[in-house]
Amino acid sequence: MSRKLTVVLLAMLVLVTAMSLKTAAVTHGDGSVVMANGGAPQPPVPWKNGGAPQPPVPWKNGGAPQPPVPWK
Amino acid sequence: MPGPLEYGIWLICTLLEGAVVVCAIRSHSFRRYIFLNLYMALSFLVSVARFQVLRHYGMSSEYAYFYYYSDALLTIGLYFALLNLYSHVFDEMKVEHYLRVGAILLLGGTAWFSYAVVQQSSHRLFSHFAYELSQNLYFVGLVLTYALWGAILKLRETRARLIQLVLALGVYFSSFAANYALQNLYRGAGVLRFVTPLLGCILPAAWAYCFLRVSEEARLAPSRLAAVPR
Repeated sequence: MSRKLTVVLLAMLVLVTAMSLKTAAVTHGDGSVVMANGGAPQPPVPWKNGGAPQPPVPWKNGGAPQPPVPWK
Repeated sequence: MPGPLEYGIWLICTLLEGAVVVCAIRSHSFRRYIFLNLYMALSFLVSVARFQVLRHYGMSSEYAYFYYYSDALLTIGLYFALLNLYSHVFDEMKVEHYLRVGAILLLGGTAWFSYAVVQQSSHRLFSHFAYELSQNLYFVGLVLTYALWGAILKLRETRARLIQLVLALGVYFSSFAANYALQNLYRGAGVLRFVTPLLGCILPAAWAYCFLRVSEEARLAPSRLAAVPR
C-alpha cells in the first residue's frame, strides 16, 4: 500500500515540477512553440488567426523603396 | 515556404530517423528497445506524411493542423520511449508494475492539466488540447529524463548503450530549452529558424550512432560516471 502511495506521490511531484517549469518558461516567453518533433518546418499556430490562412501584408508587396511621408 | 537549406535539414533528419530503426534491427535490438524504435519509425512516417501535406497544400492552415496533431502523437510516442528506458534502468528491482501505474497516472494527470488549461476556449477545443498536451508532455519528459539520469548515477549503472541513449535524450530536451531561451532573447535573429529543425536531428543521430557503434554488452566503469569520495 505504501509503495502505491509513493508511486502516486512521485507522479504528482513530477507533474507539479514540470508544470511549474512550464509556467515559469512560458510566462517570460513570446508564446512560441517550445519543442517540435522532427525536422519539418514549423508553421505558425493556426488558431491564433481564426484558422483562416494568413494572407501576406498587402503594403509590403513590391520591392520599391518606401518614400518618406510628404506632409512631414 | 521553406528554402533549400530547410528542406535539406528535413531530409537529413528523416533519413536519420529511418537509420535508427535500421541500425536497431541490424544490431538485433529492435524488440529490446521496442518503444524507442516505434517512436523513430513513427517519426519517419510522420515526416513523409508532413512533406506530402506541405507539397499538396503549401504552408497553409491544413499543414499547420496536421503538423500540430502529429506533433502531439509524436510527443506521446517519445514519452513511451522514455518509459522504455526507465524499465531497462529499473529492471533488476522488479518494479515494472509500479512504473506502469506511475506512467499512466502521469500521462492522465498531464492530459487533465492540459484540458483544464484549454477548456475555457470553446473554439477549436481539440486542436488547443493537442497543442497544449504536446507542450506539457515536453516538460514532463524533461523532468523525467533528469530524474532518470539521477537514478543512473545513484544506481551506478554501467551499461554503456543505455547510458548513451539516456544522455542523448537529455541533450535533446536541454537543447530545445536553450533554443527557446535564445529565441526569446534574440527575437529578430533569422539564423535561429534553422536551429529548431537542426535540433530535431540530434536525437536520431545519437541513437543511430549508439545502435551502430555501442554493443549491448559494452560496460562503463562506474568511476567515469560520478566521482566517488575516498
